[in-house]
Amino acid sequence: MRWLIFSLKNAIRNKRRSLTALAITAVGTAAVLISGGFALFTYQSLREVSARDTGHVVLGARGYFGGDEDVPMQHGLAGSPELAERLQALPGVRAVLPRIQFSGLISNGDKSAVFIGAGVPPQADFRVRGPQMRFTEGEPFGAGATAPEVVIGTDLARLMKAKVGSGLTLLATTTEGNLNAVDVTVRGIVTVGVPEIDKRLVMTDVAAVQRLLLTDKVSTLSVYLKETAATDDTAALVHKAMPQLEVRTWLDLAAFYQAVRDLYNRIFGVLGAIMIVIVLFALSNTMGMAVAERTREIGTLRAIGTHPREVVRNFVLEGVAIGAGGVLAGMAIAAAATVLLAFAGIQMPPPPGRSTGYPLLVNFSAALYAATGAAVVTIAALASWFASAKAARKPITEALSHV
Amino acid sequence: MSSLKMKSIRKTYPSGSSAVYALKDVDLEVRPGEMVALTGPSGSGKSTLLNVCGLVDTPDSGRREIAGQPVDGFSAAQLTELRRRHIGFVFQSFNLVPVMTAYENVEYALLLLGVPLKERRSKVWEVLDRVGLAEQGLRLPDALSGGQRQRVAIARALVKSPALVIADEPTGNLDSATASQVVQLLGELTRERGAAALVATHDERMTHSCDRVVRLVDGEIQ
Repeated sequence: MRWLIFSLKNAIRNKRRSLTALAITAVGTAAVLISGGFALFTYQSLREVSARDTGHVVLGARGYFGGDEDVPMQHGLAGSPELAERLQALPGVRAVLPRIQFSGLISNGDKSAVFIGAGVPPQADFRVRGPQMRFTEGEPFGAGATAPEVVIGTDLARLMKAKVGSGLTLLATTTEGNLNAVDVTVRGIVTVGVPEIDKRLVMTDVAAVQRLLLTDKVSTLSVYLKETAATDDTAALVHKAMPQLEVRTWLDLAAFYQAVRDLYNRIFGVLGAIMIVIVLFALSNTMGMAVAERTREIGTLRAIGTHPREVVRNFVLEGVAIGAGGVLAGMAIAAAATVLLAFAGIQMPPPPGRSTGYPLLVNFSAALYAATGAAVVTIAALASWFASAKAARKPITEALSHV
Repeated sequence: MSSLKMKSIRKTYPSGSSAVYALKDVDLEVRPGEMVALTGPSGSGKSTLLNVCGLVDTPDSGRREIAGQPVDGFSAAQLTELRRRHIGFVFQSFNLVPVMTAYENVEYALLLLGVPLKERRSKVWEVLDRVGLAEQGLRLPDALSGGQRQRVAIARALVKSPALVIADEPTGNLDSATASQVVQLLGELTRERGAAALVATHDERMTHSCDRVVRLVDGEIQ
């Protein structure tokens, strides 16, 4: 404790220099925490989007995830109601939704366009998707409608000149290779924020799609969990219980999430490394100047019996005190920014390939704070050690005659 | 047992392709309670001899004993331990740590020895009282006069009751009245505590107060 007080006194010996180093450390720490918190928020958002889109755990028949199909539903999943019932009984499962992926032509009588469709259960599918799918008109289709109803993307609706209540025709290839058509009514128009999807999206009742494709199979069963963290355990459980099926997690299917994560990890990793180098330079400079100014004092302390390691320890404590002060100030700045951004409602511009922006939010992570704090304090200790180790081992006579 | 014993000490410094003798076969012995003045012209080797005696410099050859303990062949760490326990230093420029109060500067010597807090406190106040600075104990060196700072330095050197005190021109930065007080105080304290003192000085008053004067010329004792 005595040595720490001694070091603190030395740290405030040259207030302006120590405060400058502390400020640089604080800014570096805050920058790492804010950018890291933003990355964590982005990962969390993308994780939720991906998991809501595909389901936490996705089951398909063998071959479904691997390759193309020669005819629709070639790798379809049979007996889905029984499988869904078994899956629903597993612990932590919120919903099990059958889905059919299909494609074809959509027509308003005057013109046609290619669509990418999804057969989904009425209502339930829209509930699990949450805010990532926004209705601009109408509402989700319900069960028991007399004629099949669809929800289509905003850009496709514009292309088809369709509104809620408009009649359209879906044309698709059946499982037997023939063409089949079904008249549908537009019940809702949605956007997912990705123009390429909004231009092609058609969603309708899974039963209607089965009639269109002449099948009783589904493409996949999507298992939604109460906790995303339980994904791997549930996937393992499902795999063990149904070894005849292929099991994928949302992460396996989330190529965009993984690409963004890789990119951000590199961007923020480089940013963090730059900040750490800046902090290292700032503290090295401060401690180097302190050591140079106090060379004679070091000689005195050495003469009266202080070991070089004890001299270094005092400088390291001093550097750590400045570093820790900077870390605490940086954490306070980052925490304040986190709270401020949560209430500020600032929107980021739409990223490439998307039509909607997203909120600028920063996640608080105790682990990130702890790791950053530990890293900066370690750097402060290392910088002080480097700065003082040589001076502490300088011949005492030389140190005492230092001017 | 001598506090300090030097035998055939030689020390050279390189000068171009040759070497300059700083100390030539110096023999010196100082007994406990004895204060020895080391005089000589500038460049005679006084500081070198003080450094060698204070174990902050190493001779090229010769034998050294501190408090009866031969130190030749000791590692740097062992020499540091010996200085910590047995040697006190008083410098011309006081060399107090500016961020420490007078009390803390004196206490530092005992902190290094791991003296318990209660004993430390008692010893520090006792020696500060002895040098007449009990009331200034909590002041920083900047708030003290030159004479007071040198008295703090003397207190720091003697608080651990060392076997040897090395003083390099302790009155060099003081006016004559203050210098006299400091000389008297250093003599009294070293004798009281049974320490040997080796004092490099040009000051006549200092030499008069010492038990013995050793004159060094061109690295040799005259």
